[in-house]
Amino acid sequence: MNALHVFSIKQLRNAIKRREVSFREIADSFLHRITEVDSKLHSFLTIDAESALAQADELDKRRSQGDLRLGLMTGIPLAIKDNIITKGLRTTCASRILENYIPPYDATVVRKLRNEKSLLVGKTNCDEFAMGSSTENSGFRPTHNPWDLDRVPGGSSGGSAAAVAARLVPGALGSDTGGSIRQPAAFCGTVGLKPTYGRLSRYGLVAFGSSLDQIGPIANSVRDVATILQVLAGWDRRDSTSAHRPVDNYVAEIGKDVFDLKLGVPAEWFGSGLDPVVENAVKSALNQLEGLGCKLEEVHLPHTEYAIATYYIIAPAEASSNLARYDGVKYGHRTSSHQTLQEMYRNTRSEGFGEEVKRRIMIGTYVLSSGYYDAYFLKASKVRTLIKQDYLDAFEKVDVLVGPTTPSLPFRLGEKTQDPLKMYLSDVYTVTANLAGIPGLSMPCSFSEEGLPIGLQLLGPHFQEGRLLRLAHALETELALEFPSLVV
Amino acid sequence: MPIDSREVARIAVLAKLEISEQDSQRFALQFQQILDYFTQLENIPTTDIQPTYHALETQPLETPLREDQADDSLSAEDVMANAPSSVENQFRVPKVIE
Repeated sequence: MNALHVFSIKQLRNAIKRREVSFREIADSFLHRITEVDSKLHSFLTIDAESALAQADELDKRRSQGDLRLGLMTGIPLAIKDNIITKGLRTTCASRILENYIPPYDATVVRKLRNEKSLLVGKTNCDEFAMGSSTENSGFRPTHNPWDLDRVPGGSSGGSAAAVAARLVPGALGSDTGGSIRQPAAFCGTVGLKPTYGRLSRYGLVAFGSSLDQIGPIANSVRDVATILQVLAGWDRRDSTSAHRPVDNYVAEIGKDVFDLKLGVPAEWFGSGLDPVVENAVKSALNQLEGLGCKLEEVHLPHTEYAIATYYIIAPAEASSNLARYDGVKYGHRTSSHQTLQEMYRNTRSEGFGEEVKRRIMIGTYVLSSGYYDAYFLKASKVRTLIKQDYLDAFEKVDVLVGPTTPSLPFRLGEKTQDPLKMYLSDVYTVTANLAGIPGLSMPCSFSEEGLPIGLQLLGPHFQEGRLLRLAHALETELALEFPSLVV
Repeated sequence: MPIDSREVARIAVLAKLEISEQDSQRFALQFQQILDYFTQLENIPTTDIQPTYHALETQPLETPLREDQADDSLSAEDVMANAPSSVENQFRVPKVIE
């Protein structure tokens, strides 16, 4: 049983149910794969083999005693993005400023996975504090794309997406502030879901842009994503922004018909800047959806062109405020060179933060500063209302919006690092879901000639994750994509 | 207003960051590009538009309340465990009163 690592969560659950594998064999298989491959990918920052193996042995023991109830995620290895805190396990946000931070408690989503007896194998690499679109802003090292090691895996949840795609884990958690789950999912050929703002708890997610951040799952199939979401979703008394409403049965949506769905194709998403290779793949997927009986209709989102400017004012503004807590007093790095308190703050932050984080703190500070607040932050917050209204209007006419996740194929390492604005523009199709608070899913719809994955994005109205999963699963089945061989 | 290294230095003071002279020029150039890109928002009429600070404002929002009862919390030792410098469960910082 040494090829267990290619199993999906569903396949693992079936094998567990039928007692075809032990939990130890599952843990060994994935940990072995990580040891073998991750020196090429750098998708993990911390690997916790010891705890995962101990947990697996404990599960085997309890099972042999007839004392184990199998939950949705029991014995399933998972990786957690390193901006989601894990009690007793180093959590760095891929930042030097938190290099040695050991959280004293678990994020709510982590607690839920522990209650389900998942095997948490480690923490994945990301852009520092989730600020980036390529994982090159990691304070430690960049992650590589498992389909082409010279290319980026996307970001900021690039470690999670790369680890899932390369079958180092069957599922992982990411976080999405402007596309940080969906864009790496697209670049790595995996399925990634950003739930509705508030659908699950963010307690223990290290804050970046508090009005935009969401945690969500990444896996190799739509069903697996639905299964992880089922465990994570729900109100949490510890997160005042979590939604106090019942959780749908997402897994039950898998396999249902989709011919009743009316799909909107936003005209603004197919303009200049979209790589024809991506465009053709998306259009071909649209034809397949039509073949499934869905009705397609062109819709308009007139404020789309303002989305990047709006997002890159609001997100850094919130970040500059959230990151004020890193001052060298309560936790994290403290400079050794200082005389006064002010000097300690300045030197601690300057030594601990990387360049992109500094850039965003400064942009955020500027747009919030006296004399500029109205022109930048207030203006952007008003345009955000218009962008959100575009979506609410579109969802009056259609059930789901469908288009590309990214304007291009995965780009090369180093290609955009010297030009921050160029990097920001690669988020053009993803930031609006965060500004509007709606759920979004990315799934592979094709591979380019050179074997690079292409992502299709589905957006739905608030709290309609089930509808997105239903549609995505129907398309996934219809496409029956043949994946090329991994290079690792 | 054009962004020069002096303006970058002013923002750095507000953000409690130290930016070297060399970095400051590069930052100035990048800020200028980014802020120029932001100016496109000026063309959108927003006089009667309310700002959005919470994405779900159109959904019914409520703040559930709980009974005002004491609950478990982290121990002082757990809270202090990550502090770079502490004395008797208190954070130690450089002298602030002359």
